[in-house]
Amino acid sequence: MESVFVYRNPEPAPPGDGTLAGLRVAVQPNISVTGWPTEAGSRALERYRAVEDATLIRRLRTAGAHLCGSTRMSEFGFGLEGSRAGESVALTEADAELVLDLMGECRAAGLRAGVCAYKPSYGLISRLGLIGLIPSMESCGILSGSVDVIRRLLAVMAGPDGLDFSLPEEPVPDFSPGACRAAAVIGVLAEARDSLPETERRAFDSVLGEIESAGFALRELSLPEYALFPLVHGIVGSVEASSSAGRYDSVRYGVRAPGAGNWNDMYLESRREAFGLVVKSYLLQGAFFQFKRYGAYEDACRIRARLLLGMDRLLGQADLLVLPAPGAAPSAGRLGEVLASFDPSMFANVTGQPVLCLPADEQGGAGFQLAGARRGDARVLEAGERLLNLRGRE
Amino acid sequence: MEFEAVIGLEIHVELNCATKMFCDCPNRPGDEPNRNTCPTCLWLPGAAPRLGRAALEKAALISLGLGGELQPRSAFDQKVYYYPDLPKGYQLSQAHLPLSRGGGIEIEDGRGGRKTLRIHHIHMEEDVARLVHDTEGRTPVGLVDFNRAGAPLVEIVTEPDFRSPFEAMEFLKALRTRVRYVGASDCSMDNGTMRVDANISIRPRGSTELNTKVEVKNMNSVRHVGDAIAFEIARQRATVEAGEAVVLHTRLWDPDRKATFPMRGKFEGPCVPDPSVPVIELSPEWIARMRARLPEMPDARAARIAAAYEFSGEEARFLCAEAEVAEYFEALVREGVAARMALHWMATQLLPALRERKVDPGRSPVGPGRLAALLGLLARGEVNPGAAREVLLRMFDSDEAPGSIVNAGALQQESDAEHLAALVDQVLSYHPAAVRDIRRGQGRAIGFLIGQIMKASGGRANPRVVRELLHQRLSSGDGPG
Repeated sequence: MESVFVYRNPEPAPPGDGTLAGLRVAVQPNISVTGWPTEAGSRALERYRAVEDATLIRRLRTAGAHLCGSTRMSEFGFGLEGSRAGESVALTEADAELVLDLMGECRAAGLRAGVCAYKPSYGLISRLGLIGLIPSMESCGILSGSVDVIRRLLAVMAGPDGLDFSLPEEPVPDFSPGACRAAAVIGVLAEARDSLPETERRAFDSVLGEIESAGFALRELSLPEYALFPLVHGIVGSVEASSSAGRYDSVRYGVRAPGAGNWNDMYLESRREAFGLVVKSYLLQGAFFQFKRYGAYEDACRIRARLLLGMDRLLGQADLLVLPAPGAAPSAGRLGEVLASFDPSMFANVTGQPVLCLPADEQGGAGFQLAGARRGDARVLEAGERLLNLRGRE
Repeated sequence: MEFEAVIGLEIHVELNCATKMFCDCPNRPGDEPNRNTCPTCLWLPGAAPRLGRAALEKAALISLGLGGELQPRSAFDQKVYYYPDLPKGYQLSQAHLPLSRGGGIEIEDGRGGRKTLRIHHIHMEEDVARLVHDTEGRTPVGLVDFNRAGAPLVEIVTEPDFRSPFEAMEFLKALRTRVRYVGASDCSMDNGTMRVDANISIRPRGSTELNTKVEVKNMNSVRHVGDAIAFEIARQRATVEAGEAVVLHTRLWDPDRKATFPMRGKFEGPCVPDPSVPVIELSPEWIARMRARLPEMPDARAARIAAAYEFSGEEARFLCAEAEVAEYFEALVREGVAARMALHWMATQLLPALRERKVDPGRSPVGPGRLAALLGLLARGEVNPGAAREVLLRMFDSDEAPGSIVNAGALQQESDAEHLAALVDQVLSYHPAAVRDIRRGQGRAIGFLIGQIMKASGGRANPRVVRELLHQRLSSGDGPG
């Protein structure tokens, strides 16, 4: 079987006593590490090596982490086809792995590998050096067996970056346990629960029981527009992707189709070869909305703003929300199937809120998502750690 | 049928910031190709744009200087098109929420009236790379120079208020003056820091409809803009008169053939908001700070100068067309030179000499202090006007004070009547015919005689004294004749 890693760092772990000293961190090759092959799983970036460290990589190095290598990924991190994300942690080849979360990939990979997955608040971690596809929705996710490791990595990577102005200039929140008021009330989103088939709903209800017996109060909440999250993601995300991927023209890097008579044909033929079926379909979907249904794109942007407000309202009524985990992503399939498998996780990419996804446990406890308010990462991690510890004791 | 033209302009102005719009690379497009580049302006994977403060400030100053209203919220969009000069596939531009709305410039309409030409909006955008077409052996190659990629631009989009090439040219001249006043760009069409596209349509005179327009590009001087618009109006008129329809497309001006030719269209789609550049929020305090930084603008300055020195509007506008010229003039006056003398000497001597030497007035080797010293000598009668002109020319090549140049060149004015009388008599004796003409009432010959006397004095004679002596001699009946 192919190795989980596409590149292993030949250098030994750095000496030193930084806060992350001794911690092995694997990354996916859409995160820039100077000199490493950085092909983002796409032939469109064939032969590309990063020319500078991503800001988060620079911070991990400074804190003494050992960047152990990069792992096999899906094309541009979109979906999980061809991805081995999470396995480096499951196989204890790394203590943590960084995986971009575009529509829930990091969380789905965690569920698949049986490890914790964290999607931080949007705007908390610099995107400089991340080769993204959906700039307004993706953030750098963290996979680890330990919530504490996630918390320590987050503390190092988060915070304003003079090189990425899209980050708000707000001070880094304190992520340490006990730094914020612990969650007391956890909301259950009725629409998310009701959308589950019978067996999955039973499994989810037992998760709710677990949460209640851990001392949290449950409160049923409603967001009637919940079903619009995938729709908004599908339109806004694909338009951004289509625009973002415009730069892959096979001139400086990437697979170049031979024999074209002029630059225009060279672009067309190279791009035809460069992208896989799922990504190509997604880019075409984006181009369709941008060029043929621009009104629908504008509507989706407006609905997105309304969904953000709706989610804020819910998080005024509960400290956190519990939602079912996304189902298994198909390892291969058509775009529609890929997108459908991420329906339950897309909400957080649309809103930018933080989510901790706990995997199913060996005793039959189902996986689930714990979501907080934007920049309320500390509370999510604290509650998630409490629940994880209880599971471990059973 | 009588037609009228409906013309709107889109003017790109390249800001003279030290760095590019979204990175810290030097904003020097003319350097050795691809020297001023980084991952951001090459748009390598993972690059992040960082809007520079200077670009925002200069764009805001231009907006205020043109009477625009800075918007509290503006944002960048991705203008998608695929072309080798734009390898990231979209240009960052403000399509939906521009930096500034409104504004305009009042011009003389060429028929004795004044007309305000309105500005629709002003937005910021990044420049794209420059394509160089070359050959390697016999193979044509396209080279891309990224020095210009990401250079800061503003685009000024007017209302379709223009009816003639003349109005467009007057507007551009006035616009250039204002942008130079705020110090944001040198606005040279020659070297591409100001680029003008004109949208032109025609309609029956008196109609209010807007017909299909044609965009004309590639004019590299204000005069070419006028010529291209005039050509395009005539072409459209001929098209309509031949019973054909005007087709929406873009044409390039060919200055050699003095004609426009259709260019191949490039694929361009609607803009989507860019998620990487934060929304620009301008507070009323910030806008007030920018307004305070705005210098006295040309119209206000011309009005003040006209009132203070009793100049005509035309004279004052001449002085204020360039900030450096107006500053030079005001410095001369501060040095004690009479205003009219300052105006006269700048208009007839200094500025033509600077133009000839291709030197900006702000960098004149003869500064206001030295010119004032020279004009002081003239005012006190120590040199005559001809010698002063000669001294001024020598001052361009010498750091010496005008007084020393006068002494070294023996250019002091000769006003001694006894000395000059001898010269006058000598010249009169050489030109009996001229003397005869004058006595017969042909006054023109007097100028000839003065010229001869000045020449004989080596240019140093005081022309006033010479004239008096001549009158004496010619009216007394003395002398040859």
